[in-house]
Amino acid sequence: MVTVDGVTFLGRNADGGSVKLLDGISFSAKAGEITAIIGPSGGGKSTLIRLINRLTEPSGGRISVAGVDIGTMDPLQLRRLVALVPQKPFMFEGTVLDNLQMPFRYRHEAGPAAQSAEVAEVLTLARLDRELLERDARSLSLGQQQRVGVARALITKPQVLLLDEPTSALDRRTSDELAATLREICHGRNLTMIMVTHDLRLTEKVADYCFYLEAGRILEQGRAAELLAHPVTAELKRFLSEPSGQEG
Amino acid sequence: MDNQGLVNLGILDLVVAYSLVLLAIGLGKLKRIGQEGQMLWASLRMVFQLLAVGYLLHFIFAVQHPLPVLAILLVMGGFSLQVIGSRIKRKMPRFYQVVGTALLIGCGGVTFVFCSLVVHYSPWYDPRYLIPLAGMIIGNSMNGASLAAERLGAEMRERHEEIETALCLGASARQAATPSLRNAFRAAIMPTTNTMAAMGIVSLPGMMTGQILSGTEPMVAVRYQIAIMCAITGAVAITAYLIVMQGYRSYFTKAQQLDMGWE
Repeated sequence: MVTVDGVTFLGRNADGGSVKLLDGISFSAKAGEITAIIGPSGGGKSTLIRLINRLTEPSGGRISVAGVDIGTMDPLQLRRLVALVPQKPFMFEGTVLDNLQMPFRYRHEAGPAAQSAEVAEVLTLARLDRELLERDARSLSLGQQQRVGVARALITKPQVLLLDEPTSALDRRTSDELAATLREICHGRNLTMIMVTHDLRLTEKVADYCFYLEAGRILEQGRAAELLAHPVTAELKRFLSEPSGQEG
Repeated sequence: MDNQGLVNLGILDLVVAYSLVLLAIGLGKLKRIGQEGQMLWASLRMVFQLLAVGYLLHFIFAVQHPLPVLAILLVMGGFSLQVIGSRIKRKMPRFYQVVGTALLIGCGGVTFVFCSLVVHYSPWYDPRYLIPLAGMIIGNSMNGASLAAERLGAEMRERHEEIETALCLGASARQAATPSLRNAFRAAIMPTTNTMAAMGIVSLPGMMTGQILSGTEPMVAVRYQIAIMCAITGAVAITAYLIVMQGYRSYFTKAQQLDMGWE
């Protein structure tokens, strides 16, 4: 479980001045549920999930994972517990298998072999063909790379999975496949999954709970189906009616 | 003329030599290349700078005291630091501290070892040895340091996605930056490696040529050249290594976060 309590983040604007990118954000994300954070670009969504695995430090407030304040945790240990899949997962030089073994190399451990149960499990979860294991990871399509990114994050069995715009580079069919994959992974592994997206189709298909974030503040929150069907604030109504909110 | 000893150049000889520069300037003017002014200015600067340093060295050689020798070395080190700073547009935090320490340890350490254990002349501050040897070591290390610092910054900027992905997967800052460190170090030592590989075939090195022209036995000059190239390689490698290994930390916070916000 992830708890975000009164988190603020000060960034810099174009003139170099200080600006509040996140303002008093509080929410909880439960294990076995997918929490979607939706909202327009530049609203602070990506910054928020970067704070949860300490790629960036908050200016104020407290974030805890399984009841432990992440500010007191060793960042390397935290990132093994809380995996983040960036918007465009970077593929390291080498094969898909090399990429899956990368997190283990960082721990100075031998990575799982191609025939191991760990590799088989993440390939199934991410719906990746076993034949891809020996392929150059950088030669894969964007959709396949996105899946390798998810598989690579899952192979070390994190408790929390953070996803930044997981379908931004995917066509509708691939996006739907990934949506199904994410639900299976979340429920199958009892993961706490937090997903930042402006893809409302994806949110409708997979999210259990949903937050609407705009200009650094949560303006509305609730069960995803309810929130998307019956928005209350004018901002969310406008966002849901805009074409940018209908992508995916 | 006796060609066994040193042929001293008179003023007239220098005038004849300078006429070759004037020839180059004339060619530039004739073909309207537009570099005549720069060539004239650079050649005059070269003449005056070398004459000035000649008189300075003449004075220091006559005095034979460690203080002016050390002062010269300090000026050389400080000037090289300033040159490196002027070449790097986007400097990392603690730039002068990182590069200055690396130059001090890399050049100072190697010069000490080379002068005391390889050439082992006496007294230790003899300007005839210490100034030219340290000058060659500092000059080459300056280029290596400049390449190391510039390449490190460029690598960190170009590879920031790769670095953050590695951090997300549990890598330490050092592990995430390793490809950048390797490339920066390689870029820094490559010119020295190339020079060594081509030496004697593509070019005859300046120090060796100078020694031969001044009447030194070629094999003695060759031994000096081999020794100084080893010292230069060591100094460049140590300086570049210290810059990349200290410098990369400037790009990360204590919580192993990539921090390019100061750029």
